[in-house]
Amino acid sequence: MDFLLRTWRGSPDPLRFRAVSDLYRIVRKSNSPEARGRRLLRRWLSEGQLAQFDARNFFDVIGCHTAKRYRIYYANVANVEELDKVGRPIVRYCFIPKGDLVPGDVMLAQKIALETDELAALAVANRFAPQPQRSI
Amino acid sequence: MSTQIVMDHTGDRRHQFDPQNARELADAEKRFKELTGLGFTAAERTSTGQTMKVTSFDPTAQETVFFPRLVGG
Repeated sequence: MDFLLRTWRGSPDPLRFRAVSDLYRIVRKSNSPEARGRRLLRRWLSEGQLAQFDARNFFDVIGCHTAKRYRIYYANVANVEELDKVGRPIVRYCFIPKGDLVPGDVMLAQKIALETDELAALAVANRFAPQPQRSI
Repeated sequence: MSTQIVMDHTGDRRHQFDPQNARELADAEKRFKELTGLGFTAAERTSTGQTMKVTSFDPTAQETVFFPRLVGG
């Protein structure tokens, strides 16, 4: 921030200060915990999951034990739904990694858990009715 | 270089190591055992993009992600 102030004080051009200030804000935002979590998640998604996530802010995974389909939404609580054969949500799950993790990290942990150890993940999950507004 | 990525409240912590360097490899294996001992799950990606849970240290893994134990929310 000192750098910005020096630039501003030394500059006769307010536009120059604004440009530097905008750049600083962009760099800071792109390195926020949430942005870092989102970047990590995107790198670990399959091609199909990534396309779905970029378009809809959720992605589907197939459980490794039951072959059921789950939808993981961009959030960090109660964000996993089990879908029926035609894609309607039938139950909502809440299982999250311990600690205060950002949504991208939570979603990646949920994806890995369902794809590699589905029944263990569901064993700790709390269950809720699906949210009607999430239906498509 | 290989990377161990540990999820935390900042997004993640990254530990890079050279698998050809015996000391760095030993540190990475020690970190793996410490984290999994604390209940973290370790996972790797296969060449086809599938995720794979790992229970023992794999010195050939390019990238390993660790996340804390799952709990009901």
